[in-house]
Amino acid sequence: MKTEVEERSQMCVVKVAGDVDLYSSPELRKAITRAVPKAEALAAVDLSGVTYMDSSGVATLVEGLRESDKKGIGFVLIAPSQPVLKVLSLSRLDKIFDIRPDVGEAAGA
Amino acid sequence: MERRIRVTVQADPKALEAVRGLVRGFARSWGLPGGRVDEIVLAVNEACANAIRHSYGSNPARSFVLAMGATDRFLEFELRDSGKPAPRDRVAPSAHKHPNRRDVRPGGLGVGLIYRVFDETVFEPGRTRGNRVVMRARRDSQTRTGQPRAGRPAGGRGGKHKRQDASS
Repeated sequence: MKTEVEERSQMCVVKVAGDVDLYSSPELRKAITRAVPKAEALAAVDLSGVTYMDSSGVATLVEGLRESDKKGIGFVLIAPSQPVLKVLSLSRLDKIFDIRPDVGEAAGA
Repeated sequence: MERRIRVTVQADPKALEAVRGLVRGFARSWGLPGGRVDEIVLAVNEACANAIRHSYGSNPARSFVLAMGATDRFLEFELRDSGKPAPRDRVAPSAHKHPNRRDVRPGGLGVGLIYRVFDETVFEPGRTRGNRVVMRARRDSQTRTGQPRAGRPAGGRGGKHKRQDASS
């Protein structure tokens, strides 16, 4: 798994690629917990390059959502890949997230 | 039932990727459709992750056994560990009906997912130590999620499939 953090005006985007599982999700957690404090209005996680995600990945995203709520900023998932949509749906947590097709759409949120 | 494959897995999160490859190959070899194979891989991964993290505290000196087999009607996956028994209330089916963001806790999401994916699931925590989990998928079962789309709730048969609880 690889993560990249990109700072834009008002928002911070964490781009994730590869498998997110019990082994790799702590690294995603670190990236998200670094990104949320930097984001002025919106924290976003780009999940288009994720090839696999298990419930530890979902729990990490929920943590990001909670942190963003606490800070009073938005938290969006960008272009989740099919494996991500599948685990969100099977976890019954797909509806709690704001899902956007791309960064531009997210910026206009 | 004949156990066609039996592997001993180190309680190390890094082992999960290889386990997923094995489970994927096994389910595919029995001709299950791709979407259903993905779900089975995900749910067996969750059971293994729980054994690694909760039964053994990710201690790579410990290990668990994963066995896979098939009958006329089912693919069956069985996990046995000798670590800390799971609290019974945490693995009861009733605890996993309506998850929300407030009750996301380690291990909790995975158990609910296992119940939703498999046609029959039995969790058997030992009295003093160890856990046994048996997960069965009908060989003619369909995917639980259909083709999920962004922002759309799951369709298909999710949540309505037959289950057996730990007491059965």
